Amino acid sequence: MQIDWLAIAPEIVVAVTILGVLAADLVLPRPLKYWTATLAVVGLTLAVVPLILMAASSVETRSLFEGSYVVDDFALVLKGLFLIAGYLVVLMSVSYIESDRYYQGEYYLLLLSSVLGSLVIASARDLIVLFIGVELTTGPLFMLAGWRKGDIRSNEASLKFFILGVLSTAILLWGMAMLYGVSGEVRFDQIRSALADPSPAAQPLVGLAILFVLVGFAFKVSAVPFHFWAPDTYEGAPTPVTAYLSVSSKAAGFVALFVTVYVALRDRVDIWGPGLWALAALSMTIGNLAALRQSNIVRLLAYSSIAQAGFMLVPFAAASVAGEQLAEGLAATVVYLVIYALMNLGAFAVVIQGARRTGTGDIDGWAGLGRIDPRLGVLAAVFFFSLAGIPPLAGWFAKFVMFRAAIAAGSAAATSLAVIAAINAVIALYYYARVAKVVWFDEAPAGAEPATEPPAASLALTLGIAAVATVVVGVFPAVFAVFGEATRVLLASG
Amino acid sequence: MSFSDWISQPVNWVFLGLALAVLAAGFRVVTSQNVVHAALFLVATLAGVAGLFVLLSAEFVAWVLVLVYIGAVVVLFLFGIMITRAPTGQDVGLDNRRARPVAAVVSLGLFGVLSWTSVRAFQDTAVAGVGERTPTDILGEALLGRFVFPFEVVGFVLLAALIGGITLARRDLTPKEEEERGAV
Repeated sequence: MQIDWLAIAPEIVVAVTILGVLAADLVLPRPLKYWTATLAVVGLTLAVVPLILMAASSVETRSLFEGSYVVDDFALVLKGLFLIAGYLVVLMSVSYIESDRYYQGEYYLLLLSSVLGSLVIASARDLIVLFIGVELTTGPLFMLAGWRKGDIRSNEASLKFFILGVLSTAILLWGMAMLYGVSGEVRFDQIRSALADPSPAAQPLVGLAILFVLVGFAFKVSAVPFHFWAPDTYEGAPTPVTAYLSVSSKAAGFVALFVTVYVALRDRVDIWGPGLWALAALSMTIGNLAALRQSNIVRLLAYSSIAQAGFMLVPFAAASVAGEQLAEGLAATVVYLVIYALMNLGAFAVVIQGARRTGTGDIDGWAGLGRIDPRLGVLAAVFFFSLAGIPPLAGWFAKFVMFRAAIAAGSAAATSLAVIAAINAVIALYYYARVAKVVWFDEAPAGAEPATEPPAASLALTLGIAAVATVVVGVFPAVFAVFGEATRVLLASG
Repeated sequence: MSFSDWISQPVNWVFLGLALAVLAAGFRVVTSQNVVHAALFLVATLAGVAGLFVLLSAEFVAWVLVLVYIGAVVVLFLFGIMITRAPTGQDVGLDNRRARPVAAVVSLGLFGVLSWTSVRAFQDTAVAGVGERTPTDILGEALLGRFVFPFEVVGFVLLAALIGGITLARRDLTPKEEEERGAV
């Protein structure tokens, strides 16, 4: 059997890094444990090299293992996203994990395993590969959420996430088993042709299978009404893990959902289209309304990430209820996903540093942070206004792409979704702006000294990368639209 | 096919016996008030399911179920219950009596929907390959050929579960104990 080694080189590099971290953790004395983080960063950086080589090569699509593993431009863009997000999360973990007596080597091992799982998801075109990828992405996170063993809230976070995660996996697997049962195939393209013309008697089973798959993935991306685990888990988990949960694992869940419904079930858009519409509308509305009432910054970001998941779904859901321009809708959703990942990671890095400066996660406790630490205050404003979608920050381009795609879809249902999104964008502005207002316009508590010590170098690097990306993409969105084009070209052929 | 035709075939008697045994054992797993009994009923359930797989000529899956699930997973359950300080005796809260009506409605509803759709979709279709043997070499070749990639990835799932599980389950040393043992 011929294997295109370049195509799976990123996965191999990450896998070797995982084993390297494990070996290094065995021999390093405690004061040098942070070298495992260095190894993880080096590994994730090296894994980008084959991605660039593949993007530059003339081969459009690399299909492996009889078509069950496909590396195309869509997969390349998302693998790049997962690697960069993993890289930023490792960077923001370094000082956080080191500051307490956590198990550093094991922490990075689990984080890298989850990154490996998301790389697999981006290329999976087969139920088995996809399911294993989903397992590898979420499995390590159950344990990472409970990494602060002595903290009861962290234990609760882990347990809630685990029980609901296992339940959702069971539902997902059930749906996949029914899909296999009714089509007799595991590969997505074969499932699609097998389901193109099912007998009328099999219709209810196909519908039920799609419903189960949709519900299973909705848990993974914490879309309303399957979101109730998210706020408690986000609050209790160590903050870098929360950042990872709200960005990478959510993105991986979305990618798995999109690949399944778009490649395998495209002809049954009449069943899952309305489902996506409802998930998008509910997530935006309920996520935003709940976010308005939060006083804790991490819970605020938890509900905001639920709402953002709704915004992300809007273009694709609008295209699916309209039944046309699916590829354009999906491309817009991917653009939103990538921009959201960058700005949300930045927001979480601000939360880590802000909590260290002020010693609290309460938004009111952040009063006057802009005067205590002006640089951090500016960054907080940048990321939160970007999440709200204010030009010239990256978030506006994400929102612009979203509305353009939703309106282009044209049908009444698609337009009404765009209207719901517009109302929600205004609501969201209120609570994002409130953070900036507290940081800049509220009086600092008496006796607060201007901060002198700089943030840890790794955290500063995370903040820098995310801030530069947020501003550059906002000012020159054309740089970024190229990625969206890549997605569109590829999926249109798929 | 009418019921009298169906019941006249001896293989269906075996099926009916196994299916009822699985159902009864499964029911006891969730209603038992003793966690050790629940684990033992789980053994009976899994053994019955293994028997159903044999009826479908899937001996390999049947033996995997016996060796891995009964032989390893349930035994691990029992070890886990006995080694930790979890209560092993009667525990009246274990069967969650208050949630029974809800559980009954949900499971009966799910059963109705699933069986209706499945029966409607498949009706009398024969399962392909029943009565033939499954040569293990074909399975091996598939695992290390077409499915080698997910096969290797599963290795990482297990590695992550192992490392994470040990890390979370082990008792942390207090700073004093650590000093005594020397920093590692």
